[in-house]
Amino acid sequence: MHRLAWILVGLLGAAGWGAIALHRGETINAAWLVLAAVGTYLVAYRLYARFIASRVLALDDGRPTPAHRLANGRDFVATTKWVLFGHHFAAIAGAGPLVGPVLAAQFGYLPGTLWIVIGVILGGAVQDFVILAGSMRRDGKSLGQMARDEIGPVTGILAMIAILAIMVILLAVLALVVVRALEDSPWGVFTIACTIPIALVMGFWMKVWRPGRTGEATAFGVALLLVALVAGRHVAESATWGPLFTLDGETIAWAIIGYGFVASVIPVWMLLCPRDYLSTFLKIGTIGALAAGILLTLPTIHLPALTPFIDGTGPVFAGALFPFCFITIACGAISGFHALVASGTTPKMLDRETDARLIGYGGMLMESFVAMMALIAAAALDPGVYFAMNAPLPALGGSIETAITTIRGWGFTLEPGQMEALAASVGESTLLARTGGAPSLAVGMAQIFSGVFGGGLTALWYHFAIMFEALFILTTVDTGTRVGRFMFQELAGQVVKPMGRTSWYPATVVASAAIVAGWGWFLLQGVRDPMGGINALWPLFGISNQLLAAVALSVGTTLIIRRGARRHAWITLLPLAWLLVITTTASWQKVWHTDPRIGFLSRAAQLRDTLGTAGLDVATTERLIRNAQVNATLTALFLLVTWAVVLASARSWTRSETRDARSEDALVAVGRQATA
Amino acid sequence: MRRLLARLATLLRRLSGMPDYAAYLAHCRTAHPDRPVLDERAFFEEYLARRYEGGPTRCC
Repeated sequence: MHRLAWILVGLLGAAGWGAIALHRGETINAAWLVLAAVGTYLVAYRLYARFIASRVLALDDGRPTPAHRLANGRDFVATTKWVLFGHHFAAIAGAGPLVGPVLAAQFGYLPGTLWIVIGVILGGAVQDFVILAGSMRRDGKSLGQMARDEIGPVTGILAMIAILAIMVILLAVLALVVVRALEDSPWGVFTIACTIPIALVMGFWMKVWRPGRTGEATAFGVALLLVALVAGRHVAESATWGPLFTLDGETIAWAIIGYGFVASVIPVWMLLCPRDYLSTFLKIGTIGALAAGILLTLPTIHLPALTPFIDGTGPVFAGALFPFCFITIACGAISGFHALVASGTTPKMLDRETDARLIGYGGMLMESFVAMMALIAAAALDPGVYFAMNAPLPALGGSIETAITTIRGWGFTLEPGQMEALAASVGESTLLARTGGAPSLAVGMAQIFSGVFGGGLTALWYHFAIMFEALFILTTVDTGTRVGRFMFQELAGQVVKPMGRTSWYPATVVASAAIVAGWGWFLLQGVRDPMGGINALWPLFGISNQLLAAVALSVGTTLIIRRGARRHAWITLLPLAWLLVITTTASWQKVWHTDPRIGFLSRAAQLRDTLGTAGLDVATTERLIRNAQVNATLTALFLLVTWAVVLASARSWTRSETRDARSEDALVAVGRQATA
Repeated sequence: MRRLLARLATLLRRLSGMPDYAAYLAHCRTAHPDRPVLDERAFFEEYLARRYEGGPTRCC
């Protein structure tokens, strides 16, 4: 009976793919995409994840997990597997899987769907699972520590530099998404601004007034947040308050930079921790609601399977389907960042070894499903609207009239007045060229929610979606700056001793300023970019995240070989090889491509040729040239560091003697004595 | 009903990574009843330091 059910699941998944493959009409229903994805996830979980659990990692419930061996009632706490699944999912899901697929929709719905589903079952979920299990067997060690212990000290430092660099780019790009979503949007700015006093009240509640009562404080905070959301409309419509909250991109960027610095140097209980809770609950609630909305309304996909832009001429971001589809969608298919979380709090909470399969592999499948939902929400938009929102203004010709002719020239339709009506329905002044993915997703979500609850609340849903994305992106900015600060101090402490002292306030301030200056520089570069910034910076983020995945998979391969499963090492080598192909190609193209829309260096050369002659003044042009050169250098640096880690790992694979499962225990025991 | 609510509260705490003082007390009672325990305020402060002074707890 059980087996029959699995065969049925497999058949349903196959039916989904069949419908997608045979589809030749104008539109397709989202149900087929959902069916294909979920069917494939379940079959992969049942067969491939089980193979990895039993044969490759040899998970064994007889072996006590760190949560039991090192139980301390604090971070090492055995947790039931479904609860831990939720915990882990809440930690890995963020803005990444929501934004990437929206941007990649410029190729049509098919490339994104295939990469999200195939990428996750063979790549992303395998990475998360192997790293989680490896960390669990090593008392919850972090990725950086494992790289150092298993491969070598130099590799450990290189991995740390790679992590720090990706963090800086990640924070800049995510902050840019927020800037693009909040520009000239008084409703959005007001709601997000309100999260600061709300967080402060929550902070004082749980630290000073009623110590430790985080639950009460959060319930109160969520209620206040919803009040702020509703009040935002009246603020935006008010003649006195509206203009006060109508800010341009650069002002918002500076506000985020200032906020990020302050939040990372004041005590965590004031802002960081309360916002962390707020965004977690909002995230779980919204993602649940989005899933319910999509399953209830089963929207029709209006975007074609493939657009002409697969050749690299697309306006949303430059570059052809290969390799840029695989770069643009990182989170959702494979995300190196997850390796940091999978070697963080989760391994310390696993109740039994075999739970790692549901939490590591299954948790990533769930994130992949979030990416599918984002893709569906974007692809359900009218393609004309999608491109009017996601193409930068210069690509659209500069105005709504030229946008209509440009989009018709691309083969899509956009009626006069359509964009204005849509903007009015969501309570915004304009939706033209709202790049960054967040506004498109918010419109898509608003349409889906309106489909469930009726159309009267479209504007509220739109702003709810914007608030939700901005809130958890800004939470990532806070926590990321703080984590970056600790890593910076650890690295700098190796050179200048006092910099490593995390309790020494001047060192804290200097390190925080360095991290904020790093991502702030890229953020401002993006905000001032005439093409909107997302265009140039999102691929840089994708590349850095995928390169981190390559580092994680190298460490994962080392762990597999170390535990004597050398003949099964292909499970991580396969995605590693693919990642190296796409990231090396993409980095190469970003640096050297002759098309100035893609290659940073030819962009710099083109700008230099037009210096003083084009519409831009000399100072701006020189700044853009410098930006392109820095981006090129950084891309090349990412690639070099990653290859160094991969090659160092590969050397350790050839020389390291294989050990059997028992000696992995011995290894762990020795490590524990050394650290004790 | 009370117990159900308490279990729901524990679930939400674990889900979001909030501190769980009750679990800590239970651990202290069974594992080392002879040692003194932290009060709720001290436990919370220790939790904050542990959670936000290590690696990332959140992803992109």
